[in-house]
Amino acid sequence: MERSNDHRDLATALAELRPAPREEFARKLDKRAAAGFPRRSRSHRTLLSRLRDHLLVSGPGRLLFAGSGVVLVAIAVTTVLVAGNAETERDSRGGLLNDFSGFSESSEPAPQAAAPESATLESSDSAGGAEATAGRAHRDIERSAEIGLLAEPDNVADDSAAVFAAVHEARGIVLHSTTRSGKRAGAQFELLIPSAHLGDALAALSAIDEVRTRHEATEDITAPTVSTSEELRDSRARIEGLLAQLSAAETETEMDVIEAELARERRHAAGLRAQLDDLERRTDFSRVSVRIETDDSTTESSGSWGLGDAFHDAGHILGIAAGVTLIGLAVLAPLALIALLAWLLHRAWVRTQRKRALRNA
Amino acid sequence: MSEAPVADLETQVQGDLDFERLYRSSRDDVYAYAAGLLRDQAAAEEVTAAAFERAYRKRSRFDPERGSARAWLFGIARNAALDELRRRGRQAELSADPVDTASATGPGQSHHELRLLLDGALSRLEAGERELVSLKFFAGLSNGEIGRVVGISASNVGTRLNRTMDKLRKACDGTL
Repeated sequence: MERSNDHRDLATALAELRPAPREEFARKLDKRAAAGFPRRSRSHRTLLSRLRDHLLVSGPGRLLFAGSGVVLVAIAVTTVLVAGNAETERDSRGGLLNDFSGFSESSEPAPQAAAPESATLESSDSAGGAEATAGRAHRDIERSAEIGLLAEPDNVADDSAAVFAAVHEARGIVLHSTTRSGKRAGAQFELLIPSAHLGDALAALSAIDEVRTRHEATEDITAPTVSTSEELRDSRARIEGLLAQLSAAETETEMDVIEAELARERRHAAGLRAQLDDLERRTDFSRVSVRIETDDSTTESSGSWGLGDAFHDAGHILGIAAGVTLIGLAVLAPLALIALLAWLLHRAWVRTQRKRALRNA
Repeated sequence: MSEAPVADLETQVQGDLDFERLYRSSRDDVYAYAAGLLRDQAAAEEVTAAAFERAYRKRSRFDPERGSARAWLFGIARNAALDELRRRGRQAELSADPVDTASATGPGQSHHELRLLLDGALSRLEAGERELVSLKFFAGLSNGEIGRVVGISASNVGTRLNRTMDKLRKACDGTL
């Protein structure tokens, strides 16, 4: 009872010791409260601490909302960019190559329609060759072309015959041909045409029927040609030298060593010769792809844009978006996990520090 | 300033926090708590301002289901005060409200002696004990609210407060 009274007296005495704020401070704080607690001057504070405060003030909901917005915008932008790139690539390669997939018999790989940039890249890649060819007037150019012709189903056979005739006229070679009759009639040809006759051959092929698509591409292969021929020249010089050494050799062992070296160098020279032949063939002959299509065989791919195309495009875009999202998640998820762990650790550390501060005070 | 009864503060409409009312009713209490714990007028003012500023910016995150508005506010004030302690790494001396020793003469002399003794005893308490006293007798929080603020149960708060009061009583022995 006495203890209880003591505590009551103590409580009263403690209440009298209650610190009260200075009037000036109270007035200033009231003013700031009325103004909605505007931020005090914090010029001395670091950007990080200000950002931290901002993040703390923003609720998790707002942060999540903002984060989701940023992620959605990133996905949309990336999807548009990726889809745009895919479209550009398809355009640059030409519809002809893609449409060839309809021909299951096509076993010959389609020739690569080199973009003009590839020639530049090729040249810049082989720096030595580029230097060697800097002053060279003659350029070694590889050419290729694709032609898409539109024919009536009944005319496919005649047009195919005309293609063979044009190739014969240009002294070219038919590498591969496929002709299909019936409802989905059509034909495709892979040709090698002497580069000197390429213009005439393309003109002749274009005159066979209505031209639906036509693409031509060139690639400058001067640099690899020059460097290979220089290597070959060096190799031949080495062979000459080795032959001279061989004739001057006196011992059996010496001769064996030189002959082995000679055999190795000859193999190397043969390889270089083959490479040079291939490069020259690519310069001398142009690869031409010809496709003869009929309305029936191309309705799906080149007809007017319809509901099916819309579904196809929508699926394509959704696929890209899903891929971008997946990649984004694969990148962001570990980062988010690390950030979450760091945040939790930081919180735990701050809590511990506060407890310690209270204990040590 | 703290004339508004605590119960009034709980009349929040569907979780909306009446911040103005909370500020009006708690300004002096928050200061008293901070000053009681830190025993430094300037630091207490800084902590009080920082606590209200943080609470104001976080007011949308207040959840009435997790406790009263005052408990929430004092939780923020406590963090601000402990951050101040961390920064200083030492206990500052009380410069506010010094006990008026000059007037401790005449009929009320024993009462003034008690205040002096009590003030000295408070400064010798551990910070954790002084915090409980500040929350209870300076800020006027209930044991339940104190428990929520410092993260212990209400009965634990009662036990610790009793022990602290015994310490203070012993320090003031003879004047009570």
